Amino acid sequence: MISPLATFLAALVLQDSTPMPRTIAIDEAFAEAAHLNVGDRVSISGRPGTETAPAEWVVVGAIFRRGADPSEVARADFKVRLHLDQLQRLSGYGDRVDRFAIATTDSADMARTLERVNRQAFGFRAYRSREIAVETSRTFLVVSRFHRAIGVITIVASSVFLLCIMVLKVEERRRDIAALRLMGISRASVAQSIVIEAALVAVLGSALGVLLGWVASLFVNSHYQALYQTPLAFSIITGPIVAFAVTLSLVLGIAAGLAASLRLVRTPPLTLLGR
Amino acid sequence: MKLTLAKASLVRHRSRTILAVLGVAIAAAMLLDMVMLASGMRESFRELLMTRGFEIRLAPKGTLPFDTDATIPGVRAVTDILRTNPDIETISPVMGASIHIPVGERNVSSAALGIDPSVQGDYELLLGEDVTRSDAIVANDYLLEQLGAKIGDTLNVATGYDPQTRSYTGQRRLVITGRVRFIYGAAQQPGSAMRRETLEGMVEPERRDRVSLFMVSLRKGADIEQARSWIAEQLPNVTAISIATAIAQVDQRLSYFRQLAFILGAVSLFVGFLLVTTLVTVSVNERAGEIAVMRAIGVSRAHVVQQIVIEGVAISAGGAVLGLALGLVTARYLNAILSAFPGLPVAIDFFLFQPRAAWSALALLIASGIAAGIYPAWRAASLPIAETLRREAIA
Amino acid sequence: MTGPAIVSLREVKRDYALGAERVHALQGVTLDVASGDYVAIVGPSGCGKSTLLNLIGVIDQPTSGTVSIAGKRVDGMSDREATTFRLRSIGFVFQRFYLMPILSALENVVLPMAEAKVPPRERTKRAAELLDYVGLSARLNHRPSELSGGEQQRVAIARSLANRPSLLLADEPTGELDAHTGAEIISLFQRLNADGTTIVVVTHDEDLATAARRQIHMRDGRIVGDAFEI
Repeated sequence: MISPLATFLAALVLQDSTPMPRTIAIDEAFAEAAHLNVGDRVSISGRPGTETAPAEWVVVGAIFRRGADPSEVARADFKVRLHLDQLQRLSGYGDRVDRFAIATTDSADMARTLERVNRQAFGFRAYRSREIAVETSRTFLVVSRFHRAIGVITIVASSVFLLCIMVLKVEERRRDIAALRLMGISRASVAQSIVIEAALVAVLGSALGVLLGWVASLFVNSHYQALYQTPLAFSIITGPIVAFAVTLSLVLGIAAGLAASLRLVRTPPLTLLGR
Repeated sequence: MKLTLAKASLVRHRSRTILAVLGVAIAAAMLLDMVMLASGMRESFRELLMTRGFEIRLAPKGTLPFDTDATIPGVRAVTDILRTNPDIETISPVMGASIHIPVGERNVSSAALGIDPSVQGDYELLLGEDVTRSDAIVANDYLLEQLGAKIGDTLNVATGYDPQTRSYTGQRRLVITGRVRFIYGAAQQPGSAMRRETLEGMVEPERRDRVSLFMVSLRKGADIEQARSWIAEQLPNVTAISIATAIAQVDQRLSYFRQLAFILGAVSLFVGFLLVTTLVTVSVNERAGEIAVMRAIGVSRAHVVQQIVIEGVAISAGGAVLGLALGLVTARYLNAILSAFPGLPVAIDFFLFQPRAAWSALALLIASGIAAGIYPAWRAASLPIAETLRREAIA
Repeated sequence: MTGPAIVSLREVKRDYALGAERVHALQGVTLDVASGDYVAIVGPSGCGKSTLLNLIGVIDQPTSGTVSIAGKRVDGMSDREATTFRLRSIGFVFQRFYLMPILSALENVVLPMAEAKVPPRERTKRAAELLDYVGLSARLNHRPSELSGGEQQRVAIARSLANRPSLLLADEPTGELDAHTGAEIISLFQRLNADGTTIVVVTHDEDLATAARRQIHMRDGRIVGDAFEI
C-alpha cells in the first residue's frame, strides 16, 4: 500500500507524466473487511474476473459511515463512492445516471421546481423524496405490521395470563375474605380493597415494565447496530408509546383484579371456608 | 391412585383449571409459532430451491441471482466449460429482461425469462404448450389478467425501452401458447417466458450472449460442494451458489426473524412455566392440611410430589394440545402478513409446520410443566407434619 | 399393663420456636404403653398432649430423649424411614377427620393400602370389610361431603386400620362431633380395643377419657397423673 505522498514525490523525482490516481470513498464495513485505510491504493474494475479492460488504480480517499437507510440493512454488501465520470466509464453506462437529487431553497420553490421539471420532462420524472421513501419502505411496512400483530397477540395473551394469576392469587386468600365477610364487611368494600391492591400492583408492574422495555430497547439497538453495522435505530421508545403501554397494563391489571374479586365476593362466606 | 387424586384435584376447581389451561394454550401457541418461524423459512426456501433438482446456481460475481442488473457473458463458452465436468448433468441458462405489451392506451410491463424449455427449472406449465416455437410466449395468470388475453392470442411484445426516445430496441409478435406458474415468482407480479434466442434477438446488441443466471444440476451421488468449488475455480467471473450457500445467505439476511423467534419462544415458555407454577403453588397451599395428613398416614414424600406434578403436567399437556390448534391458526395469520414482502416468492413460507417442530414444542412444554410443579410440590411435601396440622387446625 | 410395652418414651423433651419465644412443649416425659392398652391422655389446652401424640406417631421428632414403638427406636429416623413406619405400624385419627374430599369412602380407606402396594383386589376387599366393621357398608361410594360428621370419622377410623397397625392414635376424635355421635365413636373404640387394638387417644372429652382403661394427666409438658380404671 503506497501513500499518496510517496506517489507524488516519486512522480516529481521521476518526472513521471502519469496522472495522480483518483480517489474513492469506501464504507466502514468494507474498510474493516478488506483491511483498508485512507491512503491505500486499490485497483477497481467495472466487470468481475479477468475478461475486462485493465483495472484502474485509485486511492482510498475517505472512509464513511453509511446512513441509517433501512433498505440497506441485512444486505451484506459494501458501498463505494467514485467520481461520476469514472464510474460511468468503468460500468460502460456512458453519459447516463440513475437519478438526480435536487435540493431547493424552500418548499415553495420545491413545488414550483417539481411542476416545471415534470412539464418539460423528457424520459424521466421528478418526485418528492418522501414519495420515493414510502414506495421503497414497503419491506418495513410488512415488518411493522408483523410487529403489530405480535404486539396484539402479546396483549391478548397477557390479559389471559393476568386474569389467571389474579384469580389464583385472590383465591389463595379465600379464608381472609370469608373472615371479613363474616365480620360484616360489605362485598363492595372487600372488592374495592382487592381492586386497589391490583391497581397498585399494576402501577408497580407498569413502572418495572417501562424500565425493562427501555433496557431491552437499548440492548436491541446496540446488538443490531453492531450486527448490521448501521446507525439505524431499531427500537425507539416515545412518550405516546410509554403512555399507551402503561394505560393498557393498568386497565388490564385492574380489570383482572376486579374479575377475580367479584368471583369470590359473590360466593357465600361459609362456602369459602369449605363448610 | 395418584392419577385419580390428580384428576380429582383438577376437576375440583374447574374454572381455575380451565383458565390455567387456556393460559398455557396461548403460551404453547406462541411457542409453536416461534419454533415454526425459527426453521420455517430455511426449510421452505430449501424445498423451493430443490423443486426442479438444480443444486447449484451461477450468478454474476458477488451477486445473488436477479439481485442486480449484472449479467454473465459468453453463454456458449461457459456452457462448454461446465460440460467438461462429468458430474454436471443439466445446464439451464436463464436470461432476464423487461418486456412491454401495449394494451389500448397503456403499456403492460412484465418480467420475461429467456430459457431453454427442455432444461428450464423456472416455471410449471399449467395449461397449453411450452415455448417450443421461436414465436411462442407463456405467461402467468396475473399477466394474462392484466392483458385480458388467453392462450392462442397474439401479442406485440417489445423490449429495451428508452424513455428519452420512447423507442424500443426490439419488437416481435408472439403467440401465447401456455399458462404457467413461476416457481420463484412473487405474488401479484406479471411474468412471462420465451425461448432465449427469441429474447436475445430483441434486446440491445451488447446484451446478447449474456445471461442473468445458470442453473446446474448434478448427477446422482455427486459431491455438491466439490462441484461448486470446481466451477468457482474454472469461472472466476461468476459466483457459484450451492443450496447450502444460498440458504446460509438468506439466513443471514433474515437472521432477525430467527432471533425474534428465539426470544419470543423463550418468553412464552417462561410465562407458561410461571402460570403452571403459580397454579400448583396455590393449589398445594390450599391443601396443606390434606397433604400433611397424607404424609401422616404414611404416603411418601415422593408420591405426594408425583401426584402434584401430574397435575402440573396435565395442565401443560392440555394446554399444549389446545395450543397446537391455536398456534396453527395464528401462524397462518402471521405468515400472510410476512408473505407480503415485496419480491418474495409466493412459495416461501415463514411459518412452516413440521411435525418435528410440533413435537419439540410439546416436549418443551411438558418438561416445563414438570419443572414448574416440582418445586412447590416438594416444598409442600416437606412441610413439618405436626406443625402443619396444628396450623391447619387453628385456621 | 396387659402385654409387653409397645410404646416407650424416656425423658422426652420437645421444644419449638413460636415467633421470638421458645416453647417447651414437653419437659422430660417418660412413659410406657403396653400392647392392648387403651390410654387416654388428658389435660388443659397447651399442656403438650397433642405434641406427645405426634411424637408417638412419628410425625414429629423429640428435641431430646428416646422414643421406641414396637421395640424399634423411632427418634432420629429419617423422613423416609418414619413415613414407611407410619404407613405400616401406626394408624392416625384426627379431630377434623381429614378425609380426601375428592375420594369416596372406599377410596379413602384404600389410599394407605395402595401406598403399601397391597394388590388392588385385596385392598378393595379389605376396605369394604373395614367399612362394614365400622357400620358403613351402605355408604361405600359416598364422598365425605355426603356423609355426616360421625360417618366421616368412622371412615377415618377404618382408614387408620387399613394396614393392620400395631398402634392406633387419635387426636380429639370426638372434638367435632355432637354428644350422641361422639358416643358412637367411643363405643367403636371400645370394640376395637376389645378386639386387640392398642389405642392412645388425646381428648378433652370426659366420656371418652372415662371409657379408656388408663388415664394419663398432663400439665405444662409433664405427666402429673397416671391412673388405671378398674
